[in-house]
Amino acid sequence: MTTLQRAMQTVLLTMLALFCLVPFAWVALSAVDANAGPTVGAPTFSLQNFTEFFTNADTPRLLVNSLIISVSATALNLACGILGAYALSRFRFRGRKFFMFSILLIRVIPAPATIVALYLLMVRINLDNSYLGLILVEAAAALPVTLWLLKGTIDAIPFELEEAAWMDGSTRFGAIRKIILPLVGPGLGAAAMLTFMAVWGDFLTPLVLLQSPDLYPLSIGLFRAFSAFNQVDWGVLAASAVIYMVPPAILYGVLRRHLLRSSLGGAIKG
Amino acid sequence: MTSVPVPVARPGRRRRDRGMLPLLLGPSVLLIAVFVVAPAGYGIYLSLTNTQLTGFAARDPQFVGLDNFRYLLGSDDFLASLGHTGQFVLFSAIIGQTVLGMLAALLLRRTWLRGKGLFGAAILLPMVVPEVVAALTWASVLSSREDGTFNRLIGLFGGASAAPLQEWPMLSIIIVNIWRGIAFAMIMFQAALEDVPDELIEASRVDGAGAIQVFRYVTLPLIRGPVFLYLLLTTITTVGVFGLVYFLTQGGPGSATQLTSIYIFQHAFQYSQIGLGSAASVILLVLLMTLGLTYVRLAKVDV
Repeated sequence: MTTLQRAMQTVLLTMLALFCLVPFAWVALSAVDANAGPTVGAPTFSLQNFTEFFTNADTPRLLVNSLIISVSATALNLACGILGAYALSRFRFRGRKFFMFSILLIRVIPAPATIVALYLLMVRINLDNSYLGLILVEAAAALPVTLWLLKGTIDAIPFELEEAAWMDGSTRFGAIRKIILPLVGPGLGAAAMLTFMAVWGDFLTPLVLLQSPDLYPLSIGLFRAFSAFNQVDWGVLAASAVIYMVPPAILYGVLRRHLLRSSLGGAIKG
Repeated sequence: MTSVPVPVARPGRRRRDRGMLPLLLGPSVLLIAVFVVAPAGYGIYLSLTNTQLTGFAARDPQFVGLDNFRYLLGSDDFLASLGHTGQFVLFSAIIGQTVLGMLAALLLRRTWLRGKGLFGAAILLPMVVPEVVAALTWASVLSSREDGTFNRLIGLFGGASAAPLQEWPMLSIIIVNIWRGIAFAMIMFQAALEDVPDELIEASRVDGAGAIQVFRYVTLPLIRGPVFLYLLLTTITTVGVFGLVYFLTQGGPGSATQLTSIYIFQHAFQYSQIGLGSAASVILLVLLMTLGLTYVRLAKVDV
């Protein structure tokens, strides 16, 4: 290949990368700018926006709310997911295939197609405007992916290991604890990351289900702050956006290796 | 597919703890049934009533048969929202994301290329940041102020300042959604391209084929299946896009960017027409289920 062609291809890729990166300039610069406005400007460097986020009466609450909702929903999702995936992997029962394909189909239905009925249903069973309701909904929404992913992981663990444990007198649950749990790590890490990120970033479900500002997660808090057009503190808004990205980034850093090793291909690629 | 085959079934031993099945699978089935399947069913029921959030019909909803559907299919507003959704899917997902994602996947395969990791990470970033942050960044880029990033860029080329979100609202949200989805397309195509043997491409190069010919006649036919599945999947997800667009335009100006997902939200929760919103949801649900079924049938997954 000629040098010219290589140069052109590199330029093309650089332009694509810039297109992807440039929009983030505002968040990155304004978060550390004492005089931030709605557009990009050279910052007067200061960490004041972050201080304000944490000392403000309302904003730390948003972060805590997001953490409560996402951590609980992820924990519930994984707990149900690992039991269910074990059953789907190790038991052959009537309707198993149908169930697997049904949840695959459910996974492709996006939230706007069922959100109206979901809201009314939640009002009926008195679970609207509460952490519990939102946590249950979020855990359920991410469950199909978790089940597929963990089933693939458990399929890869040799059944003989469990049988051996039974021979040694373990109960079925004992064998799950001793054999499956230690080996299911990579899949569990991947499922945890996908679920946490989906719940953490969700906008529509909390927007519809929650009415009390006390319960708002960061996504809704940022939206409300942005929509209050005349009194927006742009610096704090940008700092909040940065803080909003930290937990998923940390999780990604910790679990990245697991993600690559798991059978994520099966869950996404189909 | 990377999944490992299930060990050969041994029914005798498997059946040992049959009683545990409800205990193991029960919680998952219950959660999915109550919070995913029941709302879908309830939505179909609601779509046949004149339920409202407030007012007279809120207390005493009536069964109205197919009235909501009749109204929607004769409503210019709703049909326009379907049209907007179609445009949005066609230009942002099927054309924009696919072309740029494929380009990124092909370029990142070049063996001579340095800094693959950095390029990959840059392209990945728009997909992994939360929807709200993505929308916020673009609100700044597309700001109507003269110092907005977009206006500065066209200023460099001597153009006059504009208010993209007001003047070209549809084009704006299409570009924002392309930006957000390049990475997903890239990942899917990278996976597909791994199955294309290098020798085959080498051979056609030796035979004198140019880069475009190689792609058109060698690479593309080999990855046709995964590309088609990607198109189905991205269509389904793009129809469901809500937050990104709602944050930026709230469906406006007027109803220029009122996608069906936004139509549903506004009618149900802002105008309190639950029955109508549900009927619109059911129409969307049916369309997506059809696409989803095709996807599930064609995606060759082992269970």
